[in-house]
Amino acid sequence: MKTSIAPAIPTNFERIFHPQNIAIIGISAEDGGTGFGSGMFLAIKAMGFEGQIFPVNPKGGNLKGSHIYKKVEDIEELVDFAIITVAAKHVPEVLEGCLRKGIEGVEILSSGFSELGTEAGYELEKKIKSIAAGGIRVVGPNCFGIYCPKSGLTLLPGPDLSRQTGSVAFLSQSGGNAIDLAHKGKWMGIRFSKVVSFGNGADLRETDLLKYLADDASTKVISMYIEGIKDGDAFFESIQYASKNKPVIVCKGGLSQAGLRSVASHTASLGGSRIIWQSVLRQVNAISVQDLNELAHAALAFSLLPPGIYKRISVVGGGGALGVGACDAAEALDIEIPPFTTEQQESIGKFLPKPGSSAINPIDVANPFVPPQVLKEVLLEAAKDSRIDLQIIISLLYHYKVLATAMGLKVTEVAPFQELAETVCDVVKTTGKPVVVVLPNPKKGLDDFDTTEMLMIARREFLERGLPVFDELSDALRAISQVNGYFAQRNANHE
Amino acid sequence: MNKESAIRIISNALQAGRKTLSEFESKQVLALYDIPVTREILLMDKTEVQKAAQEIGYPLVMKGCSAAVAHKTEKGLIHVDVRTIEEARNAFDKIMAGLKCMDGAVLMQEMVSGKRELVIGLSRDEQFGPCVMFGLGGIFTEILRDISFRKAPLTKNDALKMMREIKGHKILYDIRGMEAADTEILSRILINVGRIGLEIGDVQEIDLNPVILSGAKPIVVDALIVLK
Repeated sequence: MKTSIAPAIPTNFERIFHPQNIAIIGISAEDGGTGFGSGMFLAIKAMGFEGQIFPVNPKGGNLKGSHIYKKVEDIEELVDFAIITVAAKHVPEVLEGCLRKGIEGVEILSSGFSELGTEAGYELEKKIKSIAAGGIRVVGPNCFGIYCPKSGLTLLPGPDLSRQTGSVAFLSQSGGNAIDLAHKGKWMGIRFSKVVSFGNGADLRETDLLKYLADDASTKVISMYIEGIKDGDAFFESIQYASKNKPVIVCKGGLSQAGLRSVASHTASLGGSRIIWQSVLRQVNAISVQDLNELAHAALAFSLLPPGIYKRISVVGGGGALGVGACDAAEALDIEIPPFTTEQQESIGKFLPKPGSSAINPIDVANPFVPPQVLKEVLLEAAKDSRIDLQIIISLLYHYKVLATAMGLKVTEVAPFQELAETVCDVVKTTGKPVVVVLPNPKKGLDDFDTTEMLMIARREFLERGLPVFDELSDALRAISQVNGYFAQRNANHE
Repeated sequence: MNKESAIRIISNALQAGRKTLSEFESKQVLALYDIPVTREILLMDKTEVQKAAQEIGYPLVMKGCSAAVAHKTEKGLIHVDVRTIEEARNAFDKIMAGLKCMDGAVLMQEMVSGKRELVIGLSRDEQFGPCVMFGLGGIFTEILRDISFRKAPLTKNDALKMMREIKGHKILYDIRGMEAADTEILSRILINVGRIGLEIGDVQEIDLNPVILSGAKPIVVDALIVLK
């Protein structure tokens, strides 16, 4: 196996992702928290980081009661990890200090390196690389750093990210995408093991991080946003290795001609041609996605659905058109919604309101106010069909706004989301077949904020029970088909 | 051993200051890598025509062969379905006349008949190195761009999958009275084209178009190897 970087001493990533103590270099006592350094100090405090944080600035001083060290070497305690936010030209000397101090790794948030495309920028980055080769790992420069819910490390500027730990890792060349996905994940229910925004990737980048995550026990799903890669062969090898162990979801930016131009100026790396990229991703059985939304949906499905292939599904919803749409969308994704037998249609039909309902599959419950207990019976009955691998319930909870208004109550008091979440959870436990929840919300206007709020609370109820929730049926189906594609291929390769 | 012979053909061309191999040389390289090509003989002199024609057997295809010729059809340098010795001699004269300004010869080859044309190629990607291409051949290559790629080296599984990946993959099935394509041989071609790319750094591109399915068997009918 060829490796791009082979440090003499293996990197102790534990000290980088779960540091006991950290230093933040470039904190100013004078900026009142508006600088990167002070911002990170406050953010990591807000996240509730349990270790010690040592602020460092050559001028010394005091920040909100914490003593500011002049040099990192002045700190007496062992420091595992450092965050560097000083101006680009000072980064090399600061990094050398960290190396001497015995720090395992740093993140350099400062920009002003190769991304400028200037001689001076390249020179500075070269210096960083050579210092790193001496025995300290570097994330960045020109990045938003590491987010690790378990340890409390957070991205710039992320004082309000979730501390709920999970199984999804995200590697991103773009800092903006890293912080966006971290925020998206918070309400969508994607729980992260590690998020790394690696920016210019002077030292640690896609290849090494993929290898690390491939063997990282806390990561079950790897997702990544990349623009250009440094070493095609090494990348290919590491993604192929990773993808044999766990799903790797890839959003490759800069595949259009216009995108390519902005990539060139964005992180100073080559974009590559669309067809070659798509082929390579297929070759290694990675999941290729178009954008961050699709990536988020795929990550949610992979993290919450048990590994498996869900070819035949049942869909429970309201409205005939919903059913037609489901069938059309599913067929294009190689998912089947098989009609139930006449006997089963009869046994499901017994629970449905008449007239207007249909028990064929998709099951049209006809009325948005069908009680959760009835929906439970329908789901239990549908799961009896041995062909069905997974069920989707499209819940029309937003209709309860009308009912609430008529009753003079709040929609959060009327909509039975909690009972629904409990019953759906029971169904999964009883049948052993996963249920995916779709919570559409056509009422997104200012006058329906209460509906939006209710649906957010409902989503949380489902997610807390491990049930994946999507806004739209099409998102859910696409994500399920990506799960199917990955595991089908993996099984075929193992044959 | 075959690799050394292939490298020798290529270094001779490079030493002559050429950037491409002629069709004949290209196919010699391919044959050394166990890739089925048309049976063919390179003729320098008209007196060789009769013996060669008997050896290959009618009907024949006769082409101008020179590293300088890229588009043979447009220059009247290709004669197909040659069925008699008179036609063969006549074609020889016409081709030589057409080649007058260039250093060349006449390539006489078996005429492969088959309705299904494929394309197989190799290109070097800046990031991923040699990548093998598979797709619909002939005029459809340019019109439909129905192609797939795999980074070399290819496993047999990669080869089989890249064939299934094109939209027109059903062309390989037993359809309309035609036999199903021999995917064993096709896989071998794809894998070995990748090997050429990996083993011979001087090869920049390979273009096998068309690869014709003669019954079930794929045969490389025209080939071009571009050097660095």
